[in-house]
Amino acid sequence: MHRPFYETHNRAILSVLLVTAFIWSLFSVEWGGNLFHDGGIVTILQIVKAMFNPDLSPRLLKLALVSSWRTLAYAVAGMTLAVIIAFLLGTLASGILVEGRWSRRFSAGLFRALLGFMRAVHELVWAWLFVAAAGLSPFAAIFALAIPYGGTLGRILADIINDVPPEPVRALRAAGAGRVQVLFYGYLPMAMADMVSYVMYRFECAIRSAAIMSFVGLGGLGYQIQISLADLKYNEVWTFIFFLIGLVVLVDLWSMRLRRGLVS
Amino acid sequence: MKGDTTGKIVAISGMSITKTSIILALVLITASWGFILTSEGASLSEYFSAGNLYHTKKFLASMFGLDGGKPAFFSAESWSNALKLTYETLKMSVMAIGFTGIGMLLTVIPASRSAADGSITLRSTWYGWLVFGLIRLLYIFSRAVPELVWAMIIIFVFKPGILPGAVALALHNFGILGKLCAEVVEDLDWQPIRALRSSGAGTVQILTYGILPAVTPKFITFLLYRWEVIIRTTIVVGFVGAGGLGQQFRLSMSWFQYTEITLLLICYFLLVVGSDMVSGLLRRITQ
Repeated sequence: MHRPFYETHNRAILSVLLVTAFIWSLFSVEWGGNLFHDGGIVTILQIVKAMFNPDLSPRLLKLALVSSWRTLAYAVAGMTLAVIIAFLLGTLASGILVEGRWSRRFSAGLFRALLGFMRAVHELVWAWLFVAAAGLSPFAAIFALAIPYGGTLGRILADIINDVPPEPVRALRAAGAGRVQVLFYGYLPMAMADMVSYVMYRFECAIRSAAIMSFVGLGGLGYQIQISLADLKYNEVWTFIFFLIGLVVLVDLWSMRLRRGLVS
Repeated sequence: MKGDTTGKIVAISGMSITKTSIILALVLITASWGFILTSEGASLSEYFSAGNLYHTKKFLASMFGLDGGKPAFFSAESWSNALKLTYETLKMSVMAIGFTGIGMLLTVIPASRSAADGSITLRSTWYGWLVFGLIRLLYIFSRAVPELVWAMIIIFVFKPGILPGAVALALHNFGILGKLCAEVVEDLDWQPIRALRSSGAGTVQILTYGILPAVTPKFITFLLYRWEVIIRTTIVVGFVGAGGLGQQFRLSMSWFQYTEITLLLICYFLLVVGSDMVSGLLRRITQ
């Protein structure tokens, strides 16, 4: 069978296209010695040297521990709300709660668009808008985290629900279960394992996002990193970064163990 | 009989990690909300108070240009400026994913368990394992640090512009893309590669004829997926002076030019939606 050139070589064509786009982007920078600050190279050497000599004094370790807890607490709070939002909007966006083809399509379209809008805007932009609108409050950071994360998790939940095999659900329907009962006894148990591992993955991301909420004035690891950087105390910067890495790795390990437990 | 017991043990340990996780999650949620509501002094009633509501209304009104003056989104000059910044942001994201991809391609083979245990290179060596461990550590390190923190450090070295932004984005995404792609290499079907090897192919030939064709579609999918994420984050690295829409966003915020903010958000939104569509289209081509 003869197939057109672009069909048989689509991957090669795409690769060439991507490489060309990258080269095109490189032309926007004026390459040369003018890229670095005066003393920029010296600074980077200092920063790298400080990495092997982080500040481990008891005062700083205590501060780092407290800051880690604050970052973790905001990540957890944001994720709690995100999961609730995802559950409500995700089930609506899957369209299984309404009868009939057109109302189903309408429900799915409307709520999928809403979820798309929520996650299109980065959490820090949401945070900034909240702070500009209603002042600095812990809720500004929590809502800012919950909106895009709820959008992502909701989309995934809707996708997982739509992928649930129809036979068990039909059996439930035939046994006289209503829409909500089918959701709780048919769809959700089957979507659970996938959903949990995805929530754990997003939780790891939420820790990083909570850390950078320092940008709008929230305390925590990001805030301390920002202060130490401004004071040019690179040794302290690395201490806080290592704590952040530790936090992320701990969550990663937890989610790995949990995933393995769920699979078996 | 014996298989039965092992099955039971697996089930029990599976149960216990699930149970422990549920308890741990509940403790974390209670402690976090307790901490935020008490020592952080968060109060929902205060947040939704009349005073805050007034401010929010005023803020929204000024975003839509209802407080007098000519809104930026009706000005051709502002539009052309904002579109120029959008174009710059797009270039920054492409550059960032390019750097990320180069870094990933250079490290992904030694970072896969299959290379270290000798499935690709035909022999397993101690330095193979050492390199494997070092690169995996590097991946963890680079992805655990958020883009914004990388940007804050990078901006000490580079002059403001789109290059430091691209480098910061690449540093963070390098770890994520590397991990994802190393797992793709590990999950390969080894039958055709063994066949290649038994017919006398060397390491380079195994790479070009056995591994590369098999991993390309997945690699491109992940690359495009991370590009979508990078587009969303370009605005954030701009906040610390790494150019593009984010830099202007910050300036307009500090000058209280809220209609300008609306315009920048419209452009940002168009960029995100547009790139999602392009990436979806390209992904469908590779499948």
